Amino acid sequence: MTAPNPFQSPAESTATTTLLQGGWNVVVLNDPVNLMSYVVMVFRKVFGFDETRARKHMLEVHELGRSVVWTGVREQAEAYVFTLQQWHLSAVLEANDAH
Amino acid sequence: MTRIEVKLNLDAVAPLLDVMKAAADDLGPMLAVDAHVPDHDVELAHSWRTELMSGQRSDLAVLLGMFDSDFFATGVIALDPTNCEPILRACTAIRLRLRAVHLRELDDENLEAGEIDLESMPELQRRAFAAYAFLATLQEVIISHLDPASGG
Repeated sequence: MTAPNPFQSPAESTATTTLLQGGWNVVVLNDPVNLMSYVVMVFRKVFGFDETRARKHMLEVHELGRSVVWTGVREQAEAYVFTLQQWHLSAVLEANDAH
Repeated sequence: MTRIEVKLNLDAVAPLLDVMKAAADDLGPMLAVDAHVPDHDVELAHSWRTELMSGQRSDLAVLLGMFDSDFFATGVIALDPTNCEPILRACTAIRLRLRAVHLRELDDENLEAGEIDLESMPELQRRAFAAYAFLATLQEVIISHLDPASGG
């Protein structure tokens, strides 16, 4: 590990800190095959969403092409992406720049 | 969750098994969905894909294992809490493969709505579409009767 750069700007430093602490999105992308009921069931099972919240995310995926289904620390986000991929959903990890 | 038995029409389902088995064989060395691995570490990416492959193989074995000699004697498949999740995932894997190989030129909206001109399809494509629809129906039966999402 390298020593912190003393000349790093405050903005860069803040961004680095937040990415490590919890600025990662789990994003599900649309696909033309999976049934709506299947996607809702997977969201309920993996994230513990109720039916209404699971349907909201499913409709976002279907109509907008993507939905951010979870945001948090990287390790947990990676675990969710892996689980969604086990269910054959197109899931990716993205840094949450808004954090 | 409960256990349910589904009586299938052997004459309708048996011809679909070859195309389902071929799709499962196609998936032997590959994932149904190309996995985005969120890490540049080569070793981690390898084990990530290896574990997904292993799960996919295991799920496909559970699905195809339902169509054994007992099935051909009775036409009945049994769905329960131990097999419904692997079967759901395997149905999706095979549907994705059928879509990619046999149904790729079909319009998404028409396919979703089932608005397909079966008469104009070649025999193999017609059977692939029938298998695609059959597997979707099987998924709907599992989701509506066994509620896998409640299993935690």
